Amino acid sequence: MENDSQLVARAQSGDQQAFAELVNRYSALVFRLAVSILGREFIPEAEDVAQEVFLKVHYALESFRGEAEFSSWIYRIAFNQAVNLKARVRFRSPHADDTVLDWAVSLEPGPHRQAETAQRDQALAGCIQTLPEVYQSALRLYYWLGAGMDEVAALLGVPENTAKSYLHRARQLLHGMLKEKGYACD
Amino acid sequence: MLVTEMEPSEAGIDSLLRRSMAAPLPSLPSDFHQRLMREVRRGSQPLDRYRRILFTGYGLTSALVSAVIMRGQGLDWGAIAVMILGPVALAAAAPWARRATRTTMRHSAK
Repeated sequence: MENDSQLVARAQSGDQQAFAELVNRYSALVFRLAVSILGREFIPEAEDVAQEVFLKVHYALESFRGEAEFSSWIYRIAFNQAVNLKARVRFRSPHADDTVLDWAVSLEPGPHRQAETAQRDQALAGCIQTLPEVYQSALRLYYWLGAGMDEVAALLGVPENTAKSYLHRARQLLHGMLKEKGYACD
Repeated sequence: MLVTEMEPSEAGIDSLLRRSMAAPLPSLPSDFHQRLMREVRRGSQPLDRYRRILFTGYGLTSALVSAVIMRGQGLDWGAIAVMILGPVALAAAAPWARRATRTTMRHSAK
């Protein structure tokens, strides 16, 4: 199997097949990164981000000199693209997916308990929104998308220890914020 | 980080996050790849063709106008040919030179 540099070199000389292979290799990861930044309310937008990223990469591939890994380059483009889009869609009403609603309703048995849990989850979601982008992304990758620490680190372009400290710090901040709002986390 | 490595306060928020963030995993639609490649082709091919026609037209017109003006100034055809074809040769060699430089840089980086 060809490595990224070989594929990039072929794609730079106009080989569409090589570019298609790069898309195959990275589309799911770019999408996961976009989703982790935008959140589960903006999945269609994350799909648009993934498409935009590959169109940008195709356009800018000629200028890619291979000083950094191709993967780091594409993740950086995806991160910036998703953060920019998030700034634009922040105040728009999100897509409420039926499956998400069904899932939320089916978790708890009693209506009172269900309302309490929903309230706390809503408060937690609100707190998460106030965290720095990299913390939010690390949290969603790890807790929602089930990414390992190595994947979180690779997608965010940081060493594994830094990714761990993002999660650690995010949990500490969330704990403090929820406590301040009067919710117990234990 | 494993739950056992966490401080007690963190373990609580960890399980809360696990429960509250659990949701169906999203994935790209199965036709994403085809749609993207269609966009890529649509984005690049007509533009390249259009650019090529534009540049060829511009190049031929400017070469013709330059030749007429230089000839009017009394230059011989040899000098005119060098002055027009020289820059064209340089422009044609630029992508080749850039590729060669990139390959050299890659080899020296290894």
